[in-house]
Amino acid sequence: MEMSIGKKHLRKRMVPYLFIAPVMLLLLVFNIVPLLGAFGTSLFDITTTLNNSTFLGLGNFQEVFTDWRFWNSLKVTFKWTIVEVPIQLFIAISLAGLLTKNTKSNKIFRAIYFMPIICSATATGIMWKLILHSNVGYVTYMFRLLGFGKINFMNNSDITIYVIVFMSVWKTFGISTTILIGAMQNVPNSLYEAADIDNCGKFKQFFYITLPSVKPTLWFLVMTRVIGSFQVFDIVYTTTGGGPNYTTETLVSYIYTRGFEINRMGYASALSIVLLAIVLLITLVMYTAMLRRETD
Amino acid sequence: MSIRMKRRVAGIPIFLLLLIIALIVLLPVLWMMISSFKPAKEIISFPPTLFFKEFSLENYLRLSKRLKIFSYVQNSLIYATLTTLPSVFICSLAGYAFARFQFKGRNFLFITVLATMMIPFQVIMIPLFLVVKTMGMYDSYAGLILPKLAVAISIFMMRSAFVALPKELDEAGRIDGVTEFGLYWKIMLPQVVPTMITMMILGVNAAWNDLMWPLLVTGTTKMRTLANGLALFIGSDTSEYGPAFAGALISIMPMLVLYIIGQRYFVEGAVTSGLKG
Repeated sequence: MEMSIGKKHLRKRMVPYLFIAPVMLLLLVFNIVPLLGAFGTSLFDITTTLNNSTFLGLGNFQEVFTDWRFWNSLKVTFKWTIVEVPIQLFIAISLAGLLTKNTKSNKIFRAIYFMPIICSATATGIMWKLILHSNVGYVTYMFRLLGFGKINFMNNSDITIYVIVFMSVWKTFGISTTILIGAMQNVPNSLYEAADIDNCGKFKQFFYITLPSVKPTLWFLVMTRVIGSFQVFDIVYTTTGGGPNYTTETLVSYIYTRGFEINRMGYASALSIVLLAIVLLITLVMYTAMLRRETD
Repeated sequence: MSIRMKRRVAGIPIFLLLLIIALIVLLPVLWMMISSFKPAKEIISFPPTLFFKEFSLENYLRLSKRLKIFSYVQNSLIYATLTTLPSVFICSLAGYAFARFQFKGRNFLFITVLATMMIPFQVIMIPLFLVVKTMGMYDSYAGLILPKLAVAISIFMMRSAFVALPKELDEAGRIDGVTEFGLYWKIMLPQVVPTMITMMILGVNAAWNDLMWPLLVTGTTKMRTLANGLALFIGSDTSEYGPAFAGALISIMPMLVLYIIGQRYFVEGAVTSGLKG
């Protein structure tokens, strides 16, 4: 009798562990082991077949810091971040301000702006690549009609990176806008009523009431967009593949090329570790900055 | 002019601006849809046309000859559904346990789950590829699907949904003497159906559009999904404009339909999880 109560008790204690077991097991095998593995493989010269691995110690990391393509890809990634994040946020803040109210036309605009979320990077890439194509593209043709000459949007060392940044903004500004609208709708109405009594204009209200009230959401957006910028790969892969002359080769594009096209898994792992360090550093710096601002 | 009229007039430039942005979003997609029905010679003609002069299915026929398009679509469907359904199930199990049970190590384990959210997929993709390959799952459905099942953000969302449920619910169930799994399955899970639908829609969309993992883990044409098969196709042969249009349209259409039906869930997901683009 006592045994069976003990058993029953034990079984009951096991229940939560059984509930989380599938997820924890999968996370262990497919997230945690690979993360630790990244540190391991970064110390070897190793190929996809896993044969003939040689221990290099920190050799891969030494190579990373003298590799001009690494520095180039880091430069491209920074450029992307500095251009994409402010543009994206400016558009999202303006549009969210204009579309906060739940009117019928606002709802339609929001639905349209959010739509590109369903387009894969592949479809987005194909679409814009052909619209901007130097021969068959409609936009290129219109620019020609306007007297700009034949612009080669997709193959120009100076502008192609910005063209891809544009595609990225096109695909994601609706998401940022929607997130901000959600936050702006939660600003208590009493704040605006007080402002109305004080005869404070709509524009002023937006800067002095709306924006400060949605600051946590803004910080969240800045952080996710910056971290996202350091992970850019898809849209580059489906449009330029990093060209022309590596001017659009981001850090992750370069990791992919090293690992899977040049088949140097160890070196690519070392690059991944550097990426991880950068992302964690940015998160830490921005997070402390956010906390400091909030306590001020 | 009355104040009201003035407000109306002042609103016109804003409305025009919103309209122009809407056109920048919509027109490229429309142009691509229309162009996919142009005959090949019209696509490469100069000047480019806005609307097709002649309706043709040539591009779609060419696409099906050049690529195993049906197999790609089938693989994308398998990848999207067999990733999403089990994922929502096991993540809801874990979310439920983290929300409604007290157990040793709960906080530590939950923080571990959240920590994996901080690690970008791009950081672990190389060793993950090696792990999957060593397990003999390279170029297989198992290799495609298994690593994508445990999603930290889903666990987090499910936990939030279950935390919000009133405590009386499990007390009532416990008095009736249902098992712990029965309590979860019959009483709790039906309460969080909207969250589950949101997760399913976001999951299907993410898997259908996923480029990177299928690109890494599949090696033969018969295992390719639509997003990565098409990407490889345009990468290798950029002169096939017509079939590229057709393929891109095929890849967009199912998700567009899903968006039109379930827009509210897409928005819900964006707001609660702040999903990445």
